[in-house]
Amino acid sequence: MSAQDSTGVIHDIGYRRYAGARTTRAGIIRALLLSGVLAVFGFGRSGKAKVLPFALLGMTLVPAVIQVGIMSLIGLSADLLNYSAYNAGSSFLVVLFVAAQAPVLFSRDLRSGVISLYLARPLGATAFALTRWASLVLAILAFVLTPLLVLFIGGLAAGASLREELPRVAVALAGAVLLAMLVATVSSLVASWTLRRGLAIAGSIMVLLVGLGVTAGLQEVADTEGATTLAHWAALLSPFVLVDSVQVALGDASTQFPAPADTVATGLLLLGAALVLMFLGMALLVRRYRSKGA
Amino acid sequence: MTVIETQGLTKRYGSVQAPALADLTIEVGDGVTGLVGANGAGKSTLIKLLLGLLAPTSGSATVLGHDIGRAGEQIRRAVGYMPEHDCLPPDMRCIDFVVHMGRMSGLPPAPARERAADVLRHVGLAEERYRLMGGYSTGMKQRAKLAQALVHDPELVMLDEPTNGLDPAARDDMLALVQRIGHDFGIPVLVTSHLLGELERISDHVVVLDGGQLLRSEATRTFLADTGTVLVEVTGEGDAQRRMGEALAARGLTCRPQGSLIEIDPLTVDGPSSGDDPVAAADGQDAAAAAHDRLRDLVRDTAADLDLGLVRIQARTGRLEDVFRDEVPA
Repeated sequence: MSAQDSTGVIHDIGYRRYAGARTTRAGIIRALLLSGVLAVFGFGRSGKAKVLPFALLGMTLVPAVIQVGIMSLIGLSADLLNYSAYNAGSSFLVVLFVAAQAPVLFSRDLRSGVISLYLARPLGATAFALTRWASLVLAILAFVLTPLLVLFIGGLAAGASLREELPRVAVALAGAVLLAMLVATVSSLVASWTLRRGLAIAGSIMVLLVGLGVTAGLQEVADTEGATTLAHWAALLSPFVLVDSVQVALGDASTQFPAPADTVATGLLLLGAALVLMFLGMALLVRRYRSKGA
Repeated sequence: MTVIETQGLTKRYGSVQAPALADLTIEVGDGVTGLVGANGAGKSTLIKLLLGLLAPTSGSATVLGHDIGRAGEQIRRAVGYMPEHDCLPPDMRCIDFVVHMGRMSGLPPAPARERAADVLRHVGLAEERYRLMGGYSTGMKQRAKLAQALVHDPELVMLDEPTNGLDPAARDDMLALVQRIGHDFGIPVLVTSHLLGELERISDHVVVLDGGQLLRSEATRTFLADTGTVLVEVTGEGDAQRRMGEALAARGLTCRPQGSLIEIDPLTVDGPSSGDDPVAAADGQDAAAAAHDRLRDLVRDTAADLDLGLVRIQARTGRLEDVFRDEVPA
């Protein structure tokens, strides 16, 4: 940087004050929320930041497109459309997406120091942390809902009945919302504590994917040993197993795992416990950001 | 107009004995105010307290009339802050970043874009604004940081070490820019630095902190007033400076070598130097002026007698460093 860059033109133009309208707190939150969702998909960042999220989104759509294609070409029945199991089936892609993109919202601010600029602005640490979390939830929702909608709309186009499909897809959508919130909480905690993108990615994959395998194994063992209660509650170790379990117990969906909750009561208890854990996670996240302001 | 007012502001971190900021009572007005102190003197702590990011241990303060304890959000809406450390995401274009920061301060989308472009031009980043900030030089990063502090047209800006890491030319640019913000833009500036010489040049008022304590809070010009001391440089054969010094001492002057210069203390003025009587006070001033001239005459005559070339006779003005030399035991 040398002197000649700054002189000359700058001095000709006077400074203009701004007397126009300013947005409210809600407006700032909306702007942050939207920019966060877009940042996850690489908008407002470098060109190559868009490659990974869209590649993963494309990959997660493949099974849906194939299923719809088979249905319409061969004319198989609509029972083939298993919405509620879709995201557990493509859990690897969901985990990759979340693990790779959560650091965009959580590690990047803390690591590059932008957080001190955010905290010196009106929102404050609590609102900022929760808005970031909500951005990640919405981004994950976009990722997990898109294939479900492709299945649903494609299935209808291929002749499935709206009346039969609607309740089934509704359960899957509710499950997807729960999944997005749980996965977002886990990965945001990991990302906000590790700071380095690589570590955050590895950490999230560890927690989510290995957690999924361990939970499935644990359920299998507990189930065969006759410890059904333990098998049910093991679902709390993995968001994917938990969502599956809750969908089975409350929404009459088919399961992908050894020991889903078998009664509505267990399902409700599991759901409640998962939500409590999620709120605890969010409180930890808020604490993390509050400590950054000091 | 008073923009910042603190009353006995104290901040203690944890159970550490020495407070980071002790019983600070200052007033900051329009124009550029320099906040000087060594590392750890409490400058950044003061800024964080004023932004409402830290709660004071005791005492109170108002920024633009808002209480720091109750109205943190209003303060942060109206204040622009440039932190000391790195705070730019490397994978964003500067223009997008400044627009985003404008939005975060409550600007609607269209004004945010307009003002971001405007402000980037003011800080001298017009050409480079579409580049990713990861590739910026330190000077450009400092400018981008300054731009985000100005984008929402703040009523006060707090700049924490804006010249940190800059080469001399970029430092001069940055200081000129800070001065322009305070005077031409009409935005009061609170700027910190550990380099006293910098603030001497640009600030109207200086607050000096040391170890969390207030050393001084005064208009800059009182720091920089003529001390009466004279610096003399001579040239000639052999050991010119020593010979000159000895000759001056022989004429009853108190002097000492100061690098390649000789520093001569002012002549003591006889008679009433101050008092309530205006005639006596005027006499005192006349006497001081006479002593001022007599000292220079003496130096000239001494140099002529020794057949030395007189390179310069320079009035030594005060410098901010003197505050520390005078008041802090080494």
